[in-house]
Amino acid sequence: MNISSEKQKQIHSFSVNSSKRIFMKAYLGEFEELVLLTITTLGEEAYGVSIQQDIEARCKRSISIGALHSTITRLEEKGLLKSWLGGATQERGGRSKRYYEITPAGKKAVSESKSLRDELWNLSKVKLSIIK
Amino acid sequence: MSKHPPKLARRIFEWFCGKAKVEDLLGDLDEWFYVHVQSKSLFRARVLYWKQIYLLMFSYAIKKRKRDAQLGQYSSSRFSFDMLHNYLKVAVRNLYQYKYFSIINAFGLAVGMTVSLLLISLVTFVRTYDDFHTHGDHIYTIVSERTEGVEESIWATAPFVLAEHLQEHPDVQEVVRIKASFREEIRHAQGTLSLRGYYVEANFLKVFTYEITQGNATQALTKPNSIILTESAAMKFFNSTEVLGKTLELEHGGLLEVAAVMKDHLINSHLKFDVLVSSATLPPVKASLTDQWTYYDFEYLYVLLEKNGSQAALQEYLDKIATETYAQLPIKVNFATKHIREIAMGPDYRMAIGPKWEASGMIVFTVVALLILLPACFNYTNISIARALKRAKEIGLRKTMGGQKNQIFFQFITETVVITLVSLAGAILIFFLIRPEFLNSLAASSSIDLSLTPRMLLYFILFALGTGLIAGIFPALYFGGLNPIEALKNKAHAASSGMRVRKVLTIFQFALSFGFILCLVVFSRQYQYSLNFDFGFDKENIVDVQLQGVKAELVKTEFSKLASVQSVAMSSELMGLSYSNTWVKNADKDSSEVNQLFVDRNYLSMFNLTLLAGKNFPEETWKRERFIIVNEEFLKHYKIETPVEAIGRTYLVEGNELEVVGVVKNFHFASLRYPIDKFFFRMNPEHFVFAHLKVNTRDAFAMFTEFENHWKILNPEQKLEADFFEEELSEGYSSYVVMIKIVGFLGLLAITISLLGMLGMVVYTSETKAKEVSIRKVMGASVYNLAFLLSKDYLKLMVWAILFAVPITTTIFYLLFPKIQYYSVSLTVWDVLLSAMVLLGLGIATITSQTYKTALTNPAETLKGE
Repeated sequence: MNISSEKQKQIHSFSVNSSKRIFMKAYLGEFEELVLLTITTLGEEAYGVSIQQDIEARCKRSISIGALHSTITRLEEKGLLKSWLGGATQERGGRSKRYYEITPAGKKAVSESKSLRDELWNLSKVKLSIIK
Repeated sequence: MSKHPPKLARRIFEWFCGKAKVEDLLGDLDEWFYVHVQSKSLFRARVLYWKQIYLLMFSYAIKKRKRDAQLGQYSSSRFSFDMLHNYLKVAVRNLYQYKYFSIINAFGLAVGMTVSLLLISLVTFVRTYDDFHTHGDHIYTIVSERTEGVEESIWATAPFVLAEHLQEHPDVQEVVRIKASFREEIRHAQGTLSLRGYYVEANFLKVFTYEITQGNATQALTKPNSIILTESAAMKFFNSTEVLGKTLELEHGGLLEVAAVMKDHLINSHLKFDVLVSSATLPPVKASLTDQWTYYDFEYLYVLLEKNGSQAALQEYLDKIATETYAQLPIKVNFATKHIREIAMGPDYRMAIGPKWEASGMIVFTVVALLILLPACFNYTNISIARALKRAKEIGLRKTMGGQKNQIFFQFITETVVITLVSLAGAILIFFLIRPEFLNSLAASSSIDLSLTPRMLLYFILFALGTGLIAGIFPALYFGGLNPIEALKNKAHAASSGMRVRKVLTIFQFALSFGFILCLVVFSRQYQYSLNFDFGFDKENIVDVQLQGVKAELVKTEFSKLASVQSVAMSSELMGLSYSNTWVKNADKDSSEVNQLFVDRNYLSMFNLTLLAGKNFPEETWKRERFIIVNEEFLKHYKIETPVEAIGRTYLVEGNELEVVGVVKNFHFASLRYPIDKFFFRMNPEHFVFAHLKVNTRDAFAMFTEFENHWKILNPEQKLEADFFEEELSEGYSSYVVMIKIVGFLGLLAITISLLGMLGMVVYTSETKAKEVSIRKVMGASVYNLAFLLSKDYLKLMVWAILFAVPITTTIFYLLFPKIQYYSVSLTVWDVLLSAMVLLGLGIATITSQTYKTALTNPAETLKGE
């Protein structure tokens, strides 16, 4: 992390559309949930490339950079994610990285999603688990 | 070759993103490139880079970043009440600062909204029709679509025999049968009073909700000759509502006993009656089954469905019955169900049971309301946009500070809404002023109540908001789209491309005003024309006296004694105003409808009708009806060449052979609205209703006092009802007075609105051209020249409007006017010229009041600041 991140966080918060946060109940799609959870596993190193690499490695599927960033943008609009620009870097032409972090609303959304699944797992009349 | 990402792709991406910040994305792409280069060929890595650029360009991420980049640094899409507060404050300050324009705008909108308010209040009230029945949700009426030969029509009536079938349907809880033919004259201390009502059975009160105050309602509607009286009818007959057990005596014999009293029903009902009579009073039905299915005038069916009953199932059942029943009959009928609340506002059916709001009338009303409202909205739009210059700096600054397009839009909409709400207050005031006149001009004014209810007020406010939106949307869009740089440099001139639209709309406004003025001129002339029309009979010095049940002979003897009365004649109706008709069969048994009037033998000479052939009714004691006197149209219909040939021919009228004794010249026995049709005079004293007195006096007051004294001898209980024939005839054309009032009022509104719009524009031009005018004046231009310079554009518009309106209005006039009245005036050049002069005169007065003032200003005043 770097020094100026606090200030940049503030500026960036302007573009978060708060009116939508009030009126829309966050509904998580499968891919959205995947992105959110991956960001939490990456901790402070969650930025575009690392997120994509992690998802591709874990899910063994190739994802499009356009789809990933569209999803990230929508999650930010819903107020489930926040982001800030990091400092300059050496390896990528001096361009800085945009780091992502889950917000309390994001945590609430994933935990609601989890409890819904747990409930369904518990209620399931079929034995779902295939792991012995 | 160095391993670096393709520059061209990056440049394209940077160009595509413009101001949007994409540094992090480019960094990510570089990183990906270096990752790929390690495991793949350089070419492959570059291809992947291009692909990723392409994918990103069309992603939502870039779209959103580009959108955000357009907003200023202090911009926020967040809605804040502080900003709303600011908008309102700025709006009020602006309205206050430019009082003149605010008043013009508010007044114009208020005037424009009044007619719409009348419409809204009327519709709101009519929509409450029949909403007071407890079971209202499940009550349906049955209407019948009759096909007789080629003629198809929808009737509000349905045959009673259908009720028996309906009762068998599981969804049907009750079937109410109403026979709406009770119309009787009831004997009363002072003569007779008429009473209208329905024959119903006991279940009427089970289905419909009415409040019985005294007596046993079920018994009242079961026993023959017993009735339920409404309180107001009870007051009329007995001057009290404690009337249980009292009897009413019918003029034609028979007694009705009051078995219960009910509260007057609310006026917002399509069922209207003074009295409910038990169906048992009616004689038993003797008609054959076929006749019962075919002839069912005055029979109405209402069905109460079970709570979960379905209208569709009932409809299906009705279709089945109709198909089975009418398969063998000469007429075809289909039945349809209609919910009780849809009756008052619904389509127009024949023989509707109660008052009905004609859909066509409502459409005309709506069109008129819009024709008045839209020009007012347009004026607001026009003046607001024209005055953009005054607000440009404010908008430029707001935009520079981060005001977004939709925020500016919202600000101006707010401003318009403020002004429309102010106008609404004014419009409601005018609404209260014109409401009594409006109610007077409605035919069914007794069944509406336009008091301001909370619901109505709510609709009014919603309507005002809607009006604000219509009037404000174009200025708001215009201001929202203003370029801040141009706005701050004071370059924001009203879009010149809009000029043409504005001119067209102004011309349209004035054309409309012209149309109203022309209508007013023509209607007034038509009214005069009808009054002075040569009806073909004398109308001077004739007094009509209503017989009111007194024997014609007695009246004749009594009034003949008077010195002022020259002669006395009798008749059944007032000529020129009303007539009755009957069916006539000739020798070939062809029957046709003929209009008639019952008269005595003095009638022809009193009204100075010309006999073309034959003679008057013979002088003899009347035993039975034998003769008729026909008019020329009658001859034409029966193809009789000359009047003389007609004498002696006989026709079968109501079972009697009547012989033609005379032929009269055509005269206007009916209103001028209809062409003269075939007609005959009959002689039958039983039908006499009026006595006509040919009088000869200068002192009408003394004469009427004398009449009254003599009337008292004949009928001490009732007042004399007498009037001059000529005056009664004029009253028959009073609908023109109503029409002139309505057109005059609408015209006043339309003209006021268009002149206000013009005034606003002239004031604006005078303000902006103040400097030009002053310089011209210094250089030696005369006041007249300057006033003309400022006015000429507007004068041109008015002349255009008139040129445009003349062909359209005259066409409409020629198409419509003969339908209103058959014998009508024709439009003359003078009418058009007069209307044009009035409009131009008003316009010139408005324009010059402003331009002359500007031209008179001392140039030093305007130029001293330079």
